[in-house]
Amino acid sequence: MNHRKNGQTAPVAEVELPHVNIDDLIVCLKYYVDEENAHIRIKDQAICAACNPKPCLAFCPAHVFETDRHGRMMVSYQACVECGSCRIACPFRNVDWRLPRGGHGVAYKYG
Amino acid sequence: MTGRLTFDAIVVGAGPAGVAAALTMARGGLNVIIIERGRFAGAKNLFGGVFYTHALADVLPDYWERKPPFERPVTEQGYWMLSPDSAIRVMHKSERYLKEPADAYTVLRARFDPWFAEQAVAAGALLITRTTVTRLLKDERGRVIGVDTDRPEGQVYAPIVIIAEGVNNLLTQQAGLIASDLPPKYVALAVKEYINLPAKELQTRFGLSGPREGVAIDVFGDVTLGLPGTGFIYTDQSGISIGVGMLLDEFVTHRLRPYEVLERFKRHPVVRPYLEGGEVREYGAHLIPEMGYDRMPKLAGDGVMVAGDAAGMVDALHREGTNLAITAGKMAGETALAAHQAGDFSAAFLSQYRRKLEGTFVLQDMKQYRRMTDFLESSPQFMGTYVNLLNEAALRYFTAHGIPKRTMEHEILKMVRERRSFTGVAWDMLKLMRAMRG
Repeated sequence: MNHRKNGQTAPVAEVELPHVNIDDLIVCLKYYVDEENAHIRIKDQAICAACNPKPCLAFCPAHVFETDRHGRMMVSYQACVECGSCRIACPFRNVDWRLPRGGHGVAYKYG
Repeated sequence: MTGRLTFDAIVVGAGPAGVAAALTMARGGLNVIIIERGRFAGAKNLFGGVFYTHALADVLPDYWERKPPFERPVTEQGYWMLSPDSAIRVMHKSERYLKEPADAYTVLRARFDPWFAEQAVAAGALLITRTTVTRLLKDERGRVIGVDTDRPEGQVYAPIVIIAEGVNNLLTQQAGLIASDLPPKYVALAVKEYINLPAKELQTRFGLSGPREGVAIDVFGDVTLGLPGTGFIYTDQSGISIGVGMLLDEFVTHRLRPYEVLERFKRHPVVRPYLEGGEVREYGAHLIPEMGYDRMPKLAGDGVMVAGDAAGMVDALHREGTNLAITAGKMAGETALAAHQAGDFSAAFLSQYRRKLEGTFVLQDMKQYRRMTDFLESSPQFMGTYVNLLNEAALRYFTAHGIPKRTMEHEILKMVRERRSFTGVAWDMLKLMRAMRG
């Protein structure tokens, strides 16, 4: 995956990133959760099950996606900051992403 | 509800582009509605935080008297080039930055955007918040005639819809102005923290003499692990905006968690002392459309125009976006006024919006830097190899080893050669020049 043009290899693989508990960051955000409507859904669980290496587990800045013990993709849409990354970066376009209903979702205090 | 809810113009989104458009149209006498999905204008908005005032002055010449909620004027700015344990810092500070209103201010969007929207409301625009536009309404010939919202019986009609929906361009696609979603190689994902720090302490750390001074630092190199992208550190009134952005594709390819990349940046030995004791008050993330001039959507169709992030109006190299959005919003607003005067809302008539923009910095800058995203993506040595090399050369240069300076110079040249051949360097410089000249 690290192969780049010019025969150069970016040193990324060797870098060790500090572990961050995303909950520590999410906790300072203000949300108005729409309990009745999930604005993010997995279209087909079988596609996620077959997906390797499931990049959404890493790139989602709110860590909305996580697999459960049985390998099912769980979506914590409540923590979503509505950036839209999963909408365009899911390699199988398997994320049904909508805007939350008006007034719901994240509300930045600073931005 | 009886009869149709009808306006002269509908604006989708109360960000800088939408508000500038609404303000312009309301002042021109149109009956305008702005529909915003957040609980207030700016609730969904986040950026690094440097705001350039020239475009604002254009739509609101007396903005300064209206007391915009700016954080700090930018009186010192420049670049930090990080290697894993060092930094070369090139900063520009000048007395000439001290005159207010300044050219640039740091801004927090959840504070600024509501103020800007208020100015449009004061001019007569109707702002409806907590309402998500779900789709465009079209007539049998495919012309846009209004929008549907998630309110009961929530259809709203107007001969003109200005889409300022932001980077997630769902309506722009539905309007047929762009064929598909933006590919992850042309969209940056940025994460940011707002860290609270008492103003006095902040000023001491950054060498500022008071609240009317501020610093804007763009950071390259190790901050993105040498990948194409940037970090930033901006001083707010009593806090620091710190963040990092990279092409979404890089996060995917390298399986990086954005908040861990940011945490690593915060722990860099040169960065950490500035943040010490600060309290994280907010974390957030946002996409930045960096598809550039050649992949922008069509800017107008029958009954519809698009402005701001939805149209990809960003100059990533100069961290500009809100000023492009405001100028574009104004041009779209002026075009809508002309369309009402002529009674012509066709794509052909509205195409003057693009022609107006071609006469401004918005499309001229975008055209000049049209190759920038591709260039950085294909030349990772700029953020990786070169930045590290500069830091090592600096270390060698500033250290007295008791060896002759001539030997030191040879060593530095040898170091460069080991990393990249001279023809390689020459080739890179040529590519850089091409990307800058457009």
